[in-house]
Amino acid sequence: MRKRKDISRWIMILPATILIGFALFYPVISTVIISFQDRSLFMPTMATFVGFQNYRDILSSSEFWNAMKVTVYFTVVSVGAEFVIGLFSAILLNQDFAMKGFLRALVILPWAIPTVANGVLWQWIFDANYGALNGILSQFGMIEDYINWLGEPFRALNMVIIADVWKNCWFFTIVLLGALQTIPKSYFEAAEVDGAGFWNRLFRVTLPLLRPAIAVSLVLRTSEAFKVFDIIYIMTKGGPANGTQVLSYYVYHTSFEALSLGQGAAISTIIAVVILLAALFYTRLLMREEVEINA
Amino acid sequence: MKKFLVVVLSVLMVLMVFGKVTIRVISSDDFATFRKEAIKEFEKLYPDIHVELISVGYNQLYQKIVTTLAVDPSAFDVIDVDCIWTPEFVEMGLLEPVDDRLTEDMKKNILPSVMRIMQYKGKTYGLPMFDDVLFFYYNEDLLKKAGILRPPATWDEFVAFSKILQEKGLVKYGSIWGWAQAEGLICYYTLLLGSFGGRWFDENGNPAFNDEAGVKALQWMVDAIYKYKVVDPASINSDDRAMLHAVAHGDVAFGFNWSFAWTIFNDPEQSTQVGKIKVALVPSGKPGIVSNTSSGSMGLGITRGSKHKDAAWKFIAFLASRKEQKIQAIKYGAMPIWEDLYHDPEVLQKHPEFEPMLNQLYYVMDRPSLVKYTQFSRILQIYIQKALTRQMSPKEALDRAAKEVKKLLGRK
Repeated sequence: MRKRKDISRWIMILPATILIGFALFYPVISTVIISFQDRSLFMPTMATFVGFQNYRDILSSSEFWNAMKVTVYFTVVSVGAEFVIGLFSAILLNQDFAMKGFLRALVILPWAIPTVANGVLWQWIFDANYGALNGILSQFGMIEDYINWLGEPFRALNMVIIADVWKNCWFFTIVLLGALQTIPKSYFEAAEVDGAGFWNRLFRVTLPLLRPAIAVSLVLRTSEAFKVFDIIYIMTKGGPANGTQVLSYYVYHTSFEALSLGQGAAISTIIAVVILLAALFYTRLLMREEVEINA
Repeated sequence: MKKFLVVVLSVLMVLMVFGKVTIRVISSDDFATFRKEAIKEFEKLYPDIHVELISVGYNQLYQKIVTTLAVDPSAFDVIDVDCIWTPEFVEMGLLEPVDDRLTEDMKKNILPSVMRIMQYKGKTYGLPMFDDVLFFYYNEDLLKKAGILRPPATWDEFVAFSKILQEKGLVKYGSIWGWAQAEGLICYYTLLLGSFGGRWFDENGNPAFNDEAGVKALQWMVDAIYKYKVVDPASINSDDRAMLHAVAHGDVAFGFNWSFAWTIFNDPEQSTQVGKIKVALVPSGKPGIVSNTSSGSMGLGITRGSKHKDAAWKFIAFLASRKEQKIQAIKYGAMPIWEDLYHDPEVLQKHPEFEPMLNQLYYVMDRPSLVKYTQFSRILQIYIQKALTRQMSPKEALDRAAKEVKKLLGRK
């Protein structure tokens, strides 16, 4: 009786396993295989095994390291800002006040906008001649001349980050707000009775209890930010002077414009390894079994 | 059973008679309005051929053609080929030679300078659709208001006139360009390179764009933004399509663009300057050089994987026909491919800017013809942008670009 149940269990999950296997593992494995080949889009049959040559070429190219720098900066700054804004807005929305329900619904809106639409929107806001940002700043007398927000490499990168933060910080809000609501109010009340101020409550009660939710959301957003492509493609196409060329855009260029699939696959594999390491780091740091409150 | 067979066979025969062939055409959206109208005419003429037009922005075109055909070589029957892509597309095996389809008339009377863009290693791979270069558009109305009687003939005048226009408060910047990290940047640099007396490669095929004239051209671009302040800094992140808006709304007095821009400037829905924008020769940067611009003609070719090559050719030949070329010139401002149309009284009369545009065609420089053109172009785009954003001096940027181009082409 027991055994038959075992078999039927396996049969039940078999279709899903096969599907996921094809959709997930096949591309991953074939990318890794291609990364060891000298392979171009138009001669896929002439692929030759070149060992680590692609990796050597990439790791010695300055364009790769520039893209790496841009990507790390983008990831750290945007995820950092999104986390801080998300955390405080979640704490705010967890309070009792009149418009609570309405505001909670409102924060989902930017997050629900497609990235492409968001990119076009901000591209116009930042437009040097017709953009809203220049219009507002000059009307308030804060700038004399219109600023070309996307015209300088480092400034353009920061501007893209702003556009990304505006859209994605609400993801943290939603996840953390959900987690906050599972924390019994009595914990905060007890801390308050003990004389803990806002910051004490935040660091000693809220954050430790939010740890699992923070870990999950940070891992998700970090890996997403590290793979960022669409908003860059829409807003700057990697320019000016490669100042906003992130790794994924570099992969896109290498594989689909320069048509060298082997090198593109090698960069993709490097990205995957970096994200894996980051995820391990986060889970080690944040995902502990028990949660203790240091009161 | 017999009855059944008869029914099936007759149905098949009916299908064969009335069966329509569908050809899929991918093309840049620059002349989309004209091509959509032409397709209607074509389908009237050939009721058994249905044309499906996929029009995409120029900057997505190369990638869309290449990646789609890599997966399915028969996905498109007709592709839009920019002059710089011909060698690469032929080497990739994307294009079908059409030499035995060309008529005597085509061989004799299509301008050889335009026909050349579709030729590689002695074979022809399609027909050009227009003779295009970057034209110098200026806003006559704004110049008049500033008391300037003629368009600038040299870059010094260009700067001086821009300053007058700016000082009088008529415009914020004299001109806007499309210097963003895209193919357009290479066209604009080619225009300036030639006008300062430079060239891309020397006789031995070594990079020559980093010599004195090339550096001067790039230095002028940098100075025009930061020193003379007559070029809108937004040029650094606008491509050759994005900059059209400012010209079409009189926000700048000068702009350089392809022939399709002429339709946009004169379309009341997209422009407030209808009838005010004229064409003049591109200014010169060196005594002895009258003018120079960059060529940018495009043509249509048949894909090697196409299953309807005859129908595809009929379509290409139709768009290239004198009748359609005439409509394209008169209504849409493009320069025709037929030599005789340049003397056609109707074209001369009805195309208001035909004469100045024709004059420009005598002063043209091509971008290099290389199998690795896309990679070459990207190297140049990045280094020119490094100079434009003042991360490198023009000399340093061009020297580094020349070094990488040498490596790309396998030269020591």
